[in-house]
Amino acid sequence: MSERQLFLVGLSHKSAPLEVRERMALDGEDLKEALRQLRASQGVDEAFVVSTCNRVEVFVQAEAEEAARSFFTSRAEQAGDHLYVKAGAEAVRHLFRVAASLDSMVVGEQQILGQVKEAYGLASGVQAAGSFMSRLCNRAFATAKRVRTETGIGRGATSMSQVAVDLVEKIFGDLKGRSILLVGAGKMGALSAKALKVLGADRVLVTNRSPERGQQLADQVEGRFRPWGELEQLLVEADVVIVSTGAPTFVLTADMVRAAMRKRRHRNLCLIDLAVPRNVDPACAELEDVFGYDVDDMQKVVSASHEARRGEALSAEAIVEAEVIAFTRERETRAALPVLVTLRQRAEQIARAEAERTLARAGGTLDDRARASIEAMAQAIVNKLLHQPTMRLKASAATGESALAGAAAELFGLDQAATPPRRGTPLNGATAPAAPTPTEEDA
Amino acid sequence: MSLELLRFAAGLYAVAAAGYLLYFARPRHTLAARFGSWFLSGAVVVHLAAIGLACKEFGGLEWFTMRGGFVLTAVLLAGTYLLVQRFYHLPSVGAFVTPLTLIILLPTLFGEGGAPGEAPAALKHPAITLHIMTASLGVALFGLAFGVAVMYLLQEREVKGKRFGALFSRLPPLNSLDKLTDRLVRLGFLSFTVASILGAVIARSVWKSAWSWDPQQVSTLLIWVLYGGMVQLRHLGWHGRRYALLTLSGFALLMVSIVTLRSVPGLTMHAGEYKGPRTEVVK
Repeated sequence: MSERQLFLVGLSHKSAPLEVRERMALDGEDLKEALRQLRASQGVDEAFVVSTCNRVEVFVQAEAEEAARSFFTSRAEQAGDHLYVKAGAEAVRHLFRVAASLDSMVVGEQQILGQVKEAYGLASGVQAAGSFMSRLCNRAFATAKRVRTETGIGRGATSMSQVAVDLVEKIFGDLKGRSILLVGAGKMGALSAKALKVLGADRVLVTNRSPERGQQLADQVEGRFRPWGELEQLLVEADVVIVSTGAPTFVLTADMVRAAMRKRRHRNLCLIDLAVPRNVDPACAELEDVFGYDVDDMQKVVSASHEARRGEALSAEAIVEAEVIAFTRERETRAALPVLVTLRQRAEQIARAEAERTLARAGGTLDDRARASIEAMAQAIVNKLLHQPTMRLKASAATGESALAGAAAELFGLDQAATPPRRGTPLNGATAPAAPTPTEEDA
Repeated sequence: MSLELLRFAAGLYAVAAAGYLLYFARPRHTLAARFGSWFLSGAVVVHLAAIGLACKEFGGLEWFTMRGGFVLTAVLLAGTYLLVQRFYHLPSVGAFVTPLTLIILLPTLFGEGGAPGEAPAALKHPAITLHIMTASLGVALFGLAFGVAVMYLLQEREVKGKRFGALFSRLPPLNSLDKLTDRLVRLGFLSFTVASILGAVIARSVWKSAWSWDPQQVSTLLIWVLYGGMVQLRHLGWHGRRYALLTLSGFALLMVSIVTLRSVPGLTMHAGEYKGPRTEVVK
């Protein structure tokens, strides 16, 4: 039986263009079938596949990464150019980073953890993932959770529409009983209006110079179209106004907004100007109870949260690193234990046998106390003799060195069956001495 | 004895304030806010016990002094906030209200708790307890509204000034603060109105005239008109910044009048004049 270790073969937004990724992505029944095939491949013990629009990654506990590689190359030859391969601790680290959203396109986004969980669920459902993958994935989920709670990696808005939602929420709380007004048919405006629906706005009003486009947009955002001429009245009705027209000048002037505010009796009004050049006079934002933001303001928030997340990513990496080390160490200690157990069993067996022989030879000349002290002495000799080797073996296992365990087995002549820090258990792949140097082939 | 108990309550308020402030500084520690509200509840209970004990010791006359008024107002402020907290989940308000309670309570903790000497006729009127209670409740509600209005102005500065920093994320939305201010002002106004009517009734029966141009009466009328005006303006649609500023000025006027009237001797027939020679401190 030859050595097993964890391999990862995959491609992601960092290594492959979208057209390759979309050809490789699988879901549902196709993915289950692929997992069954992987599991059935020669030399593969366990497998699971993470497949999202940004990454397709195959994790196998196997002798070699070939089966995982052919998962890609059998379907499209050119995928081979975009693959990266990682083995052992490198692969573990990669999975932990992915689950913790450190490898995502938008670092800190929340979806990926759910996707990895789903992928694991699918793989264990078809028995492709077994006990090793279970430990690995649970550790990955725990790592992701630690990263989320101990760092601020998920904090801050990373898109314009998210910024708009955050702002509006800080002004109005929720939008129940309030209206959103969309001025102009810009794409960003429609996106933001849709995003704002999470706050429970009752009405979306749409106005546009060209009624056809306006009506179209109104249908798209499930709003109501109102003619352009009513703009001033609409400013009184709406609470959040999103402006994105192609006009080269101000569509909302300070005078218009001032008049509207009087009629609104100074109910708060939020003006979001998504147009470049700007469509809302910056003087509007100076008016009392008017909250005005332009693209620049919102972009600043986005960059600030990206910046903050980059900072938080550093502490997240440290957590991931600690977890990877803890995970591999745990496996190695587990792997070194059989040698220790056999060694101790063997020694105690000898001690007991020798003590019995001695006692038998002494016959009835000894009282119970003397017998007990002879047995205790034998045990003490074993303990004293094995103390240092035990400590050394445990320590070396914990640092990832498994040669010593092998040497001990060799030296003390323990059976193969009990030897296996290097062979037999499927747990020890990552840092076995023969592990190939991890490679990364980024296209 | 009641004073020791009051000091103990103050200690609990301080712990509660620390909890709420910690929560405000590090919103991740939601437990800190919960601790804050536990300690605040404990503090209110101890505080009420201290008041009950003082009533027994001093025959309930202490509440007509400035010191007594502060003791009452503080407990009502904290109690009202605990009530508000049940309906609106806004633990960050605690970071403003609990320290305010402590500040109001602080001057009453020093010196000796003593009873005023001769109880004047006004204090023997059967409606006097209700008069004092409603007046103190009014002050407490206005105080709470003041705290919330301060939060509104701080948050408005953040949102409008595009400073999306720590305060921005910790303070509640403007609209929630605005609504809460309004409700507190209305309730406070209601309570204050009841207190004023009772005051007039008592004055009529004891001083033979409901209105005697006593400075306390004049300032109370002013404050009543101001807050009543605010309630009216709200109906006319006043919101936001102006409303918050009015809330601030109302409470400022209230505080100035309380402190002036109680500290200048002989200015009013209320309170200050009744402070006779202290009797021996009852332990």
